[in-house]
Amino acid sequence: MAMSGSNLQDLAVGCLLSIKTTFGDEFEAQVITFDRSSDILVLQESSKPGPHRNIRMLKVNYVKDFTYLGQAEDPLDPKNCFLDLSSLQAREEVAIRQAEADAERIGVGVTSEAQSIFDALSKTLPVRWDKTVIVVMNEVRVSSPYLPESVSGGTPAARERVKKVLELERKRLQHRRSSVQ
Amino acid sequence: MNLQQVGQARSSNGYGRRKSEREGAAKSENKISSGKSNANRLASTGMVTGNIGDGPSHDRLVYVTTCLIGQQVEVHVKNGSIYSGIFHATNTEKDFGIILKMARLTKDGSLRGQKSGIELGSKAPSKTLIIPGKEFVQVIAKGVAVTRDGPPNEAHHELYQDIIVDSVISQSRHVDLERELQPWVPAEDDPQCPELENIFDETWNRGWDQFETNKALFGVKSTFNEELYTTKLEKGPQTREFEKQALRIAREIEGEDTQDLHLAEERGLYLNKNFDIDEETRYSSVYRDKGVDDSGYDEFDDTLLNSHNSETFGDTFASIVMRSGESSDGKDDDGVRKSNSSSKDFPQSSQASDGVDLGRAGSHNLANELVSELAAKSEPTPDAECRVQGNSFTELHEAIDRSKEGNRIESEEVQPSKSKDLQSSHNLKKDEPNTGALSSNAVSHAPSFHTSSKTPEKTDCVKGVAASSGRGLSPSSSVGSSSSEKSTLNPNAKEFRLNPNAKSFVPSQSPVRPPSQVLDGSSYYQTNVTAVPHMPTLPMELGMGHPFAGPHVLYNPQVAQMSSQMYFHPNGPQYGQPVHPRQVPYMPGYLPETTYKGLDY
Repeated sequence: MAMSGSNLQDLAVGCLLSIKTTFGDEFEAQVITFDRSSDILVLQESSKPGPHRNIRMLKVNYVKDFTYLGQAEDPLDPKNCFLDLSSLQAREEVAIRQAEADAERIGVGVTSEAQSIFDALSKTLPVRWDKTVIVVMNEVRVSSPYLPESVSGGTPAARERVKKVLELERKRLQHRRSSVQ
Repeated sequence: MNLQQVGQARSSNGYGRRKSEREGAAKSENKISSGKSNANRLASTGMVTGNIGDGPSHDRLVYVTTCLIGQQVEVHVKNGSIYSGIFHATNTEKDFGIILKMARLTKDGSLRGQKSGIELGSKAPSKTLIIPGKEFVQVIAKGVAVTRDGPPNEAHHELYQDIIVDSVISQSRHVDLERELQPWVPAEDDPQCPELENIFDETWNRGWDQFETNKALFGVKSTFNEELYTTKLEKGPQTREFEKQALRIAREIEGEDTQDLHLAEERGLYLNKNFDIDEETRYSSVYRDKGVDDSGYDEFDDTLLNSHNSETFGDTFASIVMRSGESSDGKDDDGVRKSNSSSKDFPQSSQASDGVDLGRAGSHNLANELVSELAAKSEPTPDAECRVQGNSFTELHEAIDRSKEGNRIESEEVQPSKSKDLQSSHNLKKDEPNTGALSSNAVSHAPSFHTSSKTPEKTDCVKGVAASSGRGLSPSSSVGSSSSEKSTLNPNAKEFRLNPNAKSFVPSQSPVRPPSQVLDGSSYYQTNVTAVPHMPTLPMELGMGHPFAGPHVLYNPQVAQMSSQMYFHPNGPQYGQPVHPRQVPYMPGYLPETTYKGLDY
């Protein structure tokens, strides 16, 4: 434990600290609370006015060093602390749904190039992953290496369309990559 | 939320399953959900395992972690890996293990991860990831709502959540930064833009001629001929006089009192002190008036009327019809008025011809009407209207009766009113160059516009008409309609019947001159005299089933005779008054067969 008892008062609520962690992070934050029983220091960073804060919960045994910067008032206003479980749960539901939807879009075990192609195609066409194959409009399949030649399935017209889009997207990706570099 | 079910078994190895529970948390959450939470309460609820601090600091910890539920967080673990996922639960009682949902390894700190170089993003996220307390180094969450303004209520939260969802939706996570945006720098050869302010000022003397430029740059030659779109003013020796006359008449007209909202506004008269007149009434082109009863169409030939876009003209027509008796009510009209006056009469050769042309061999007196109109100008509007009302019906009758030709159009015109009036008006009319154009031509076609309603009391009627024209057709029409009969139809009106023998109107060459030609009025008209008999042939396609479709109908014949353009233009600016497009009868529509040369610009 890097903490010694004498430093505990420095971890009082509202203190502004500059902390260095054992894994190299450095930051400044304000103490919301320090729970000795679990050795967790709850910090609030970059406090901008308003209910939204950046919270960091840090196990104090990872604090290498800290500097006391000052004292400010309690960041948590006890009068204003309400928890609405139902809304929290609802929020969680929403987030999970969103995450699941996002997860659908990500191919498992595909290269980032493939993913970029997928993302680009998804802007204009309905696409989904089937293992490592991009399935467009449920009929046309684009498999690795995701070249115009790798397009198969579906009607010729659909294939053509997918090929065109694919080419364009590839060009755009290339252009972007080259311009970025 | 019952977290007890979550994996009770503790697994000790691998990243796959890490277990943590939030039993204590569940309990405290139950308490918390009752609405208010404060340290004391939490403390008093008594955590199950009491040895973990119950103090306020612990409570705060619990509070903060509860706030994290549903939030996207990053959990750093001992080996340096970072997991990103949705915070689901933590075991506040024990070691603060964390459960994440839909977690992904965003940074692999393990040796294995670093070597393999697998794309982290391409791994499927774990539905549930449990991180044991001892692995947990820190949790970072951004944008956590730690405090709230007040007790949460449904609406507030709904809103809050909606906002979250919306912002989530609007975040286009898959949009890649296409490229570095660069500020636009004008190319070397771009023409230096003239200052914007100057472009719109003083178009006549700014140094740039767009047509020249176009020609120079692109070889585009302008084929614009102003005369195609407007009537050329003949500037002869009498120009000044004509102009004076025209100005005088214009001033008279503009200075008239009017009850019509639109006209009043135009003239700057503040008519209605009460503010019930809303914007729609003031500016809408839908004709609405108390006296006008849309159902009044019934008597008229519905189909015919309707075919002409009753929705646009609808009421107007009715009113027109009604008014046909009245001297051409003005649809707005200064022009009308003028025309009325100009139609002086047959007695005068040219004018007469106009009048006659107008339609009837009989005594039309458009001129009368016009005259009366002019004369009536001075009269107060309301009176005029009333009178007009009275007259309108009579006139209508007369008109109808007179229309022997069976051409309704004609009927309007007929109305031998006071010739003397006509005379005077005629004189007036004659002179105006542009108004004149209106007038003389207008006269003749006045009927067209307004329905040369013959108002015996021309003066009154005219005035009324003129006044009423304020709203175009409405006032008079409404007046007319409301006055004598409930229905706006004239029971005596002859029904409009298509005359299969009607000859198409073929204007003679000369008439195809723009109204401005009026200056040469007399001579000009004379040429038309002979054409008068032609009148009847106005094609029925006017679709005015109603005999009094008059204004429109009349219009045509006159057009035929007179410089047809007059008819054409009546709607136009010549009358110096904005004519509601809908008030103007479908002139274009009416002239398909009347080779209205004027149209062939």
